[in-house]
Amino acid sequence: MSSSVPPLSTEAHPMTDRTDLDKAAPTPEPSATPAATADGATVFDVDDLSVYYGDFRAVRDVKLDIKEHEVTAFIGPSGCGKTTVLRCFNRMNDLIEIARVEGDLRYHGVDLYDPKVNPVEVRRRIGMVFQKPNPFPKSIYDNVAYGPRTAGIAKKGAALDEIVERSLRQAALWDEVKDRLKASGLGLSGGQQQRLCIARALATNPEVILMDEPCSALDPIATGRIEDLMEEIKAQYTIVIVTHNMQQAARVSDRCAFFTTEVNETSDTRTGLLVEFDATETMFSNPSDERTESYVTGRFG
Amino acid sequence: MATPSSEKPVRQAFTAELEQLRIQVELMGVRVDENLERTREVLRSGDADLALVTLQADDLIDAMNVSLTERCYDLLSRESPVAGDLRFVVSVLRVLSELERIGDLALRVVKLAPDWELLRAHPATFDLLLSMADTAVEQYRTALRAWSAQDLGLASELADQRPMEAFTERFSRDLLGIEGPDAVLAAVRTLVAGRSLDRIADHAAIIGARIRYLITGDPAHLTAEIR
Repeated sequence: MSSSVPPLSTEAHPMTDRTDLDKAAPTPEPSATPAATADGATVFDVDDLSVYYGDFRAVRDVKLDIKEHEVTAFIGPSGCGKTTVLRCFNRMNDLIEIARVEGDLRYHGVDLYDPKVNPVEVRRRIGMVFQKPNPFPKSIYDNVAYGPRTAGIAKKGAALDEIVERSLRQAALWDEVKDRLKASGLGLSGGQQQRLCIARALATNPEVILMDEPCSALDPIATGRIEDLMEEIKAQYTIVIVTHNMQQAARVSDRCAFFTTEVNETSDTRTGLLVEFDATETMFSNPSDERTESYVTGRFG
Repeated sequence: MATPSSEKPVRQAFTAELEQLRIQVELMGVRVDENLERTREVLRSGDADLALVTLQADDLIDAMNVSLTERCYDLLSRESPVAGDLRFVVSVLRVLSELERIGDLALRVVKLAPDWELLRAHPATFDLLLSMADTAVEQYRTALRAWSAQDLGLASELADQRPMEAFTERFSRDLLGIEGPDAVLAAVRTLVAGRSLDRIADHAAIIGARIRYLITGDPAHLTAEIR
């Protein structure tokens, strides 16, 4: 499946050149029978990554790889840099003026921070779901249709209807909303809103879904639904999730990265760093680093 | 640079409960040890009163097994332990059943007290039984020490060594050499005692293997303990 993902175009296209999206190679339709292999291809390859906010180094020494059709979880105490690293994967940090990325971050071998890479295309391929459900103040239909419309995938009519239905079905929301697609997305419950946001992210046919604590504002049942959904869609997508809920990381992820913070000697600031990255089973049964053990058993952090 | 290890640890109540659990298992282990000592004495002297005391003391061991098992289930459901904590609670459950089993095997020997004269009438096998009882008690005490100190060296020693094997051949030979009018009955009773003592040493070795896995978490040690 990985070989069918076209390389990210590195031909010169300034960020403002929106027409470039039309020229961008189309992401293939998710195949009906996904070929999930035991040892999937590498989607992201991160090496020696540091992120700075101005002079302050927020996180350092991140080295990990994200495999396709896997759920990779980032865990660690507040301020350890897990969200910062997650936001590097679709260049969301570009939106923060003082943020700066050092080191190597490759998406299918392409340097994601190459100036020639179009961040808009990056975000179409690598979707994101945030901590708080944030539907647009629009109808349920228009929320999901927004991405395909702006990306020029489908403007209206049956083609767009089809995308909206497929996305809502994949997000396990279709049956609950199919009779009120014109109703406001804000009228849904919190859990439904979050699934709407997932549907919105899926509508542009991304390859990767980044989830930043997607269940932290949800009750256990709604959380369970999102977790089921992740299990369901990982055959077609690659998921990276930041979570404070360690049981959730243990339940949903295939591999898990533990970050922690250390106090800088010269100032009162803290820098995050990657401590351990391994199969989730290992991380929660017999981690090799004492700090991981302390954290997963709830002793520190 | 340093990780914020100076911060106060959390889940202190849970940590204290785990330590309590370890001590309670040790206490149950001491009760089993007392009964093993009584068993050895009953085997030496045929003391029927002491046999009765041993039988009654086993009820307390069984009760401790039940209440500690409940405590483990309670911790599993309330605290969702992971990693080393999970290995610990599961190990407690498994060690508890070994202790309970050792207690029951000791009773099999104690229940032979009415036939003590018969056992003693055959000095070759009787002396061998006394030596086997010494080895069983010794093995068990090593297991108890390994538990209370969570000592990997002692645990590995237990898991890897089989001191009872030294008796196997001679015991079979001498058992078949029993003669006289009560030969069959004497051989059967002696066999029950010998096998029970042999099994006690085995279960002590299993406790060693459980403690070794608890400490290392090494999958190879898990494989080794399920033989």
